[in-house]
Amino acid sequence: MRLDFSNPGKKWKLYASLLSDQKELGLPFPREWTHENFKLPPNWREIFLKNMESVLKKYRSVRLFMDLCVHCGACADKCPFFLATRDPHNMPVARQDLFRSVYKKFFDASGKLLGTTAGAVKDLDEKVVDDWYTYFYQCSECRRCGVFCPYGIDTAEITIAAREVLLSIGLSTKSTTQSINKCEFIGNHLGIPPAAMANSLEFMEEELREEGWDVEIPLNKKGAEILFVTPSADYFGDPHWYTMKGYVKLFHVLDLDYTLSTYASEGGNFGLFLSYEHMKKINAKIYKEAKRLGVKWILGGECGHMYRVVHNFMGSIHEEPPDFLEEPVSPITGTKFKNAVSTKMVHICEFTADLIKHGKLKLDPSKNDQYVVTYHDSCNPARAMGLIEEPRYILRHVCNHYVELDPSVNRERTICCTAGGGLLTDECLELRYQAIKPKIDAIKRSGANFLALICAIDKAAFPTYMRHYKLPIRVGGVHELVGNALVPP
Amino acid sequence: MDPWAFFVGDVLSYIAVIVFVIGVLARVGKWLSVPVPLKVPLTPGPTTYPGVVIRLAKEVFLFRSLFKGEKKLWVGAWTFHIFLLTTLIIHVINLLYHDLWSVIGYGWYEFAGYTGIILFGALVFLLARRITAQHMRYLSKLPDYFILILLMAIVFMGNYIRSFSGVDVKQVSAWLYSLIALHPIPPPSDPYFLTHVLLAELLIMYIPFSKIMHFIGIFVSPTRNQRNDGRMRRHRNPWNFPVKIMSWDEYWAKFGDQLRGIEGENEGEAREEQKSLTGDKSGVGG
Ligand code: SF4
Ligand code: SF4
Repeated sequence: MRLDFSNPGKKWKLYASLLSDQKELGLPFPREWTHENFKLPPNWREIFLKNMESVLKKYRSVRLFMDLCVHCGACADKCPFFLATRDPHNMPVARQDLFRSVYKKFFDASGKLLGTTAGAVKDLDEKVVDDWYTYFYQCSECRRCGVFCPYGIDTAEITIAAREVLLSIGLSTKSTTQSINKCEFIGNHLGIPPAAMANSLEFMEEELREEGWDVEIPLNKKGAEILFVTPSADYFGDPHWYTMKGYVKLFHVLDLDYTLSTYASEGGNFGLFLSYEHMKKINAKIYKEAKRLGVKWILGGECGHMYRVVHNFMGSIHEEPPDFLEEPVSPITGTKFKNAVSTKMVHICEFTADLIKHGKLKLDPSKNDQYVVTYHDSCNPARAMGLIEEPRYILRHVCNHYVELDPSVNRERTICCTAGGGLLTDECLELRYQAIKPKIDAIKRSGANFLALICAIDKAAFPTYMRHYKLPIRVGGVHELVGNALVPP
Repeated sequence: MDPWAFFVGDVLSYIAVIVFVIGVLARVGKWLSVPVPLKVPLTPGPTTYPGVVIRLAKEVFLFRSLFKGEKKLWVGAWTFHIFLLTTLIIHVINLLYHDLWSVIGYGWYEFAGYTGIILFGALVFLLARRITAQHMRYLSKLPDYFILILLMAIVFMGNYIRSFSGVDVKQVSAWLYSLIALHPIPPPSDPYFLTHVLLAELLIMYIPFSKIMHFIGIFVSPTRNQRNDGRMRRHRNPWNFPVKIMSWDEYWAKFGDQLRGIEGENEGEAREEQKSLTGDKSGVGG
């Protein structure tokens, strides 16, 4: 395995957060800083170590993974960012070692005794901070490494912890905090105010009417049975737009009593890429709005990192269980979603797959005959939820030509879109072009001309990759294809 | 009595066991004292505990994830661990229940003699891999080499004793039983044997401070021992803290004009509700 000791990863450092975002979000030590000059507070070492100790006491995963890794190297070539850069620090184990080496120096006997020979850092200086900032923001938190590790050591856990520590000395990235700010104070990552959202949905209604679908999209409707929450890109972005049309067509043929919301107009959660606090803040809006609107349960649209929070975290980050909601039941099939009885939030693919299974949808898969469809497993649905079969089940029913990708980059072994974890930003685009290469090659080999996926970040990232690699492959959501195949009532 | 034999055989052996037991308990205790605030199972995450047990068994006995990860290393690591296990079992039978061989069959006794050589071979492979592969050289630190070399020395000594140095198994057995009975007698004074024992004791004492703790850590790893039931059951985060988010009131103050168009007739109602929500402390996320 070839390594490049010139550390090419250093070329891609994410931009510093804007001062205004830092201030409005109340982040520590708001200031304008650059990669050359972090302008750290004078006692930053103390703060750094205090927060490091705090994450070591908060997350058993982090504490355990410090001791557990045997440096076997099985994870080394599993990270797309390592494969792209050959930068030694981008091997998952070496990424952890950036954290582990400080741990050894200050929190572990072996490092205190033996120093660098035992893998401890020489000193906690700004070089360490620079390494952390570079490489912990060169991890998409995709967890691919953890799948292959004999002990399930999940580098994303370390990345999340490291980012908390970086934040404590006032280091965060521009694109992430910008989106968080908009989400917390306007309602969604894109910063779409209520009127613009309403306009956009009206525009969609018109478009659909022209296509012969007399659809109405309810917004902020009190007393609806279901609150539908989806990433804001779905009603503003391309190709997300077509997925959104798929949802509303589906709800229309079902005559579903649902509503969208302006206050909870974001399913995604960029807070996840910054800190526990902001992840919780963004997620909390969903329940708050569900309560205000008086819905029975919540349905979530296609999104990857959204479900990392919804599926893994939503059940423990809130003080009270959402008792004002009811256990989710499909009003069409009567199916009880037993997998979501606690959080009361169902994935759209679970919902649709259940409909198909019960024969409740009139589908004409030949409507998608112009496509040879393949499916990209987004990292979070595949590795955090285990949502692997449902989308495939749906695809096989809504199109006639479906092919799988190479097993080495498929299902839980998927190579992520490489734009998650706060990396959906142009300053690292060149890096992502390289990192996504193994996936692109697999897609090319599959012979597909439609790449189906269930994630808003994927939908933003892949069309750019397709243009870069000059591939005439359309990118779209699973529910775009569902929408195509639906027979109008 | 040979003081060196007494020290290695009768003093250090007790110290090693004590250091091992206390050290391991302390290390595991340290891990367990840290909470698991969130659900983080990795696919394939079973939703039940029996499922978790099966999953862990596959990891422990078959190294399933490593098999997915790197086949060559899997062969080396699995061979090493399996033959380490058989070697330990053979030690127990040989030294504590020697009569069992008559039940098992002496053919197996002969065969068992060669497994130590395979064990040594596996260690050579693991060390060679660390040295020859560029990324492994980069990743390996002193402790990684130390453990391998220590193990190689122990296994080498073991093989040597077995083949060339005629230590009487009965004597060793008597010594071990005396240790267990807390009435220690001196061990055989063969220098090769004493070196073997000494190195093994060093290893045992080093375990709690080393990565060898993975033999317990593998069961503690949250990505592998959790049920994939994040939406099914509530999970408690002991250090959870409330957060303040934009209230409907604040939201209305900012976007009232726009919201009036959307909420329409509901507007008055919305205002009223906002009042009751402000006073609502039970609300999710504050
Ligand atoms: S989580 Fe993904 S991006 Fe991060 S180190 Fe592991 S494989 Fe690389
Ligand atoms: S696979 Fe796991 S144990 Fe091996 S080096 Fe990577 S993190 Fe460490």
